[in-house]
Amino acid sequence: MSERVYLAIGTRKGMFVAEGSKSRGKFELRGPFGPGVAVYSTLIDTRGTPRFYGSSCNAFFGMRVLRSTDLGHSFKDTKSAPTFPKDDGRALANIWSLEPGPGKKELWAGVEPASLFRSPDGGDSWEMVPGISNHEHARKWNPGAGGLCMHTIIRDGDRVHLGISTGGHYLSEDGGNTFVASNQGVGAGFAPDPYPEFGQCVHKIVRHDDAPGRLYMQNHGGWANWDGPGGPRPDIGVLRSDDHGKSWRSIAKGLPTDFGFPIVVHPDDADTVYVMPLEPMTRTCPGGSPAVWRSEDGGDSWRKLNKGLPKKQSFFTIQRDAMSVDRMKSPALYFGTTTGQVWIGRDGGEEWECLFDSLPPVHCVKVAVA
Amino acid sequence: MSVTVYIPGMLRPRCEGARHLTVEAASVRLALAEIERRFPQLYLGICEETGAVRRHVNLFVNVTNVRDLDGVETALASGDELTILPSVSGG
Repeated sequence: MSERVYLAIGTRKGMFVAEGSKSRGKFELRGPFGPGVAVYSTLIDTRGTPRFYGSSCNAFFGMRVLRSTDLGHSFKDTKSAPTFPKDDGRALANIWSLEPGPGKKELWAGVEPASLFRSPDGGDSWEMVPGISNHEHARKWNPGAGGLCMHTIIRDGDRVHLGISTGGHYLSEDGGNTFVASNQGVGAGFAPDPYPEFGQCVHKIVRHDDAPGRLYMQNHGGWANWDGPGGPRPDIGVLRSDDHGKSWRSIAKGLPTDFGFPIVVHPDDADTVYVMPLEPMTRTCPGGSPAVWRSEDGGDSWRKLNKGLPKKQSFFTIQRDAMSVDRMKSPALYFGTTTGQVWIGRDGGEEWECLFDSLPPVHCVKVAVA
Repeated sequence: MSVTVYIPGMLRPRCEGARHLTVEAASVRLALAEIERRFPQLYLGICEETGAVRRHVNLFVNVTNVRDLDGVETALASGDELTILPSVSGG
């Protein structure tokens, strides 16, 4: 059977799966799965038999993990969801990230309140990872507007990068056993100290296999005009590291605003990175005119990509996991909006088309070819 | 004390589809403990892992919310009905 392109779309009212051919001309939609229940994270794990996952956050009855082994045609609950130890005092509020772990069926989950869990069996059983979940900083982190969430998990050999809002970036160099806060150059706008050791409101972090040590970060920007203690913090929103996240520098010059949520990197070119700038106060498209911005030189310069996108009267938000890029020869980008649209940007974002325009508010969009 | 526990539809997959269960318990807390022993995933739909009843879950003994009685310490008598219901909220 020829390969197909799949989107795993998490929304406020369940999970949807869209399937299209490699031409990515049209996509067929299935779902909702886990109907009526918010899904903040999805994953298409293409190792071996593809497995689709979604985190189902039921406001009444707690968290479940949805799993499909038939390419997203049907989903069942896994046998359990992560739970904190009884004597821990914390209770699981949400699952914000699902990523493949090093083992064949291993799954990692970043949750709210910010902690990391591991499953050795594709989500049927879970154990808390104490090195970060019980880190000496863990009880000092504060929730942002979205909650105290661990939203980014990046594995790079024995290195593990975690993004926590609001906790900052944490780095492990021993496979996830121990972690250190690693935020040199990562600014914070909501504290008197503009560069604290930890507590930054990191929004998303990405890396690329072909650029060892390099990471890109969308941080909580929008503090250029702050006139309180500590002074203004311009350009702290979009950052780059070239030393495995030990230090970071701004690459926000040239963007209309340094605020945004998602950041993605081109699958074949580590210098090409995409962001979706938003008005810092409203978290909506600047001037009501959405645009993805692309850098092809690692953040030194940026170009606006908005052909096919609305030019006015569009005030949606794109959440941190709601933009992805596929791994086809000419990659397409995808983003979902809080107004329930899913857009495709063919040819690396050069030309945009709305695939679906009336879904529930979109929390996340993940793409895979399987 | 033989008590009938009524299960809302969304939680029935966590107890093999049962619409109601019969438990032997002298209080709501002991009924929840019995549910946890028999169906741990059902229990986690009613209570957080801290043991607190979930914020948007209501427990009724017969027709009275346990919040208006003695909470989870509310005593149960043989023939009582313990009903689990989601609260009215959402959007």
